[in-house]
Amino acid sequence: MRKKSNQYTKLPARRHKWLSSENLSGWGFILAAMIVFAFFTLYPVISAVFTSLQDYKPFGSAWVGFKNYTDAVKSTLFWKSIKNTLLYTAAVVPLSLLIAFVIAIMILPFEKKTQSVFKALYYLPGIASGVATAVVWLWLYDSSPSGIFNQLLGLFGVSSVNWLSSSNTAMFSLILMALLSSHGSNVIIYMAALHGIDNTYFEAAEMDGATFMHKVRYIVFPLCKPTTLFLLVTGIIGSFQVFMNAYMMTGGGPDNNTTMIGLLIFNNAFNYGKYGLACAQAIMLAIVIAALTMVQFKVMGEDVEY
Amino acid sequence: MKMKKVFALLLSVAMLASVTACGNDNNNTVSNTTDSSSAADESTEASSEETAEELPVVSEEEDTITIMVPPVTGTYTEKLAVWAKEFEDMYPHLHIEVIATSWDEHGSKLTTMALAGEAPDIAEVSYGAIGTYVEMGTAINIADYMEAGRLDDYDQNALDYMTLENTLYGLPLYITIQALGGNREMMEAVGADVAKIQTEGWTYEEFLDVIAAGTTNDIYGFVFGNSGVTTADFVSIFGVSAGISSSFTEDLKYAYTSENMLALLEAVETMTSSGYMPDYAVEAAQRLVMLETGEAMVVGKAMPLFESNVKKNNAGIADGTAADGSIEVEYVFLPVPTMEGATESVFGSVDGFIAMRNNNTTDEHLKNVCLFLDYICSGERAASVYTELYLTCVCESGRQIQSAFELDQSELNAAATARAISKVNAPPTGITAEMSAGAKTIMDEVIVPKFQALLAGETTAKDMYDIVCSAAYETFGQDNCASGWVK
Repeated sequence: MRKKSNQYTKLPARRHKWLSSENLSGWGFILAAMIVFAFFTLYPVISAVFTSLQDYKPFGSAWVGFKNYTDAVKSTLFWKSIKNTLLYTAAVVPLSLLIAFVIAIMILPFEKKTQSVFKALYYLPGIASGVATAVVWLWLYDSSPSGIFNQLLGLFGVSSVNWLSSSNTAMFSLILMALLSSHGSNVIIYMAALHGIDNTYFEAAEMDGATFMHKVRYIVFPLCKPTTLFLLVTGIIGSFQVFMNAYMMTGGGPDNNTTMIGLLIFNNAFNYGKYGLACAQAIMLAIVIAALTMVQFKVMGEDVEY
Repeated sequence: MKMKKVFALLLSVAMLASVTACGNDNNNTVSNTTDSSSAADESTEASSEETAEELPVVSEEEDTITIMVPPVTGTYTEKLAVWAKEFEDMYPHLHIEVIATSWDEHGSKLTTMALAGEAPDIAEVSYGAIGTYVEMGTAINIADYMEAGRLDDYDQNALDYMTLENTLYGLPLYITIQALGGNREMMEAVGADVAKIQTEGWTYEEFLDVIAAGTTNDIYGFVFGNSGVTTADFVSIFGVSAGISSSFTEDLKYAYTSENMLALLEAVETMTSSGYMPDYAVEAAQRLVMLETGEAMVVGKAMPLFESNVKKNNAGIADGTAADGSIEVEYVFLPVPTMEGATESVFGSVDGFIAMRNNNTTDEHLKNVCLFLDYICSGERAASVYTELYLTCVCESGRQIQSAFELDQSELNAAATARAISKVNAPPTGITAEMSAGAKTIMDEVIVPKFQALLAGETTAKDMYDIVCSAAYETFGQDNCASGWVK
């Protein structure tokens, strides 16, 4: 006999919807990604928070509270690395976006096959090993008179430059390397965004006598804003975590003028064995990045819909 | 529809499996079955000698010992695989796993593994780094686990390098002496009495005169490999010219705050501003090439074994395998000059092996570890290293075997080497792990970066000295830092 349903036996509609076969399938699909996220992102972050509160030793750590955080804040090298990272980010991210945008605009008029060729060419440096790229740039930046860049300068009568060993040029050298090596993916994304702009806007603008710059300013920029915001946010996040360039090219020198926060964390963790301090610095970096991201969304993202 | 969902689920599982199944195929792990026939030939005689003696009694339980080494010599990794095999033949229940690294990655890789509780049982370290691992709690007092009497085989001064706070953490492999090297012909052309310099030493003023005379538009009188972290080499090796032979003085005060340090920095300022030294960072490999191509007259750091490298390059000129632009060079091993008021000494660094704690450590295991540690640091194994590096042994068993080898070394270079070894000052006893770790941090975070700026002419010697003093006072306290001129 079928039991009469009442308010105590009937499942709430919302919970019933959760357990529907379609939703179960959805949970199944994202389960793999959730497990990977939990193991390789969430767990290390939680572990890092705990480690940042300890004087970590592999056999017998001691809880020290917020001492690692106060040590980090008191360290002049920490603030210098933050300043270096901000400088690097302020130079690389906007210029990288601008270069990618200009390249995308220039490629757009070509036919599809030609566009693909250019996109491939600009993207190729991005798939090369970062270490291999750094070694090549080290060769280019060789400070001796026989270095490639110095030989080029010599053709114009300019004396050799201490590219990576001088405080005046070391950061500029890293920025130049970043700008010339890593905007391929931005070009691809901007191209996709530009293709998404309806042609009727341009036709209407042409009928009203708009010039090329008018179209770029009043049609392309606003309609590419969501893409720009995305690239800006991800660019700043990536730039704040920069490590390999400084590690391979300058080692943080000269005089710690290219020591980025990522490199400082690496040195503290793996050269000096100060795991707790390194974790504290990493947590602080994560908070700074999160705060910057929120500010960017607040300032630029209020009228952006995805 | 149902099949689509099943297929999609299978794909998800496959993705998950591929991520979690990503193994770390350590390509640097050298199989302990690697054959090296030439090394095996050399070792056969010694292994039979070893087996003829009574072997130490150890537990018969199966055990695996891991050892991590950089390329101590050009052939060390291959030879180590052979020695590991011989050891396994003597002790069939013990297995050796060799992890070969490069010099660049060795330190950071070892630190990472140690912090994770996965340190190798035996690791090659320079004596200055021992404090870091003691602070971590991963270094082990090997005296508790060594066979009785075995420590008597090793020279006490070498053992002192591997000792911190009266605790012995490892065995020495070699004392390396690092000083300067030069081109005899070029030096004699500018009036230097090379034989006298090699046998009696030279003052800083004499050195300055020689490199000034040797500097032309195309030739640097003095080149020192100082790119990146090798900057620390200059401070350590050339620091002896100002009487700084260790990070701490005999009375355990931090040495780089003394007036000796200021004198050293001012000397560097003079040499770079005058053009005798390049004002750009020189890679370590580059300085030897500059010597071989005649672009540099005196180079550093230099070791006795460079004579072999230069001779090989000379031989390569005829068949085109030498560095581009190479000239015939007669290599001379030179002492570092001595400033007025300083006592002549030579920078000696001891590299050796330490035993480390990891998640598998037990007392029985440590006995096995120290057994293998002693095996590779003594006898024919040690003699092989000393011969290849043109050094003398730090253990009696190695010395007896090395006496049979002949080195392709000039008499004067051999005399200069012997003289240099006699001038090496062991670091003072009583340095704590904390002091050692603090000194390393100041060297890496303050001295090396500022020195790079000094080389580039972006700071002055006085400014750099003041900054080093500030950092040292903060780390050690002003009372624990040297002041004035230290003799």
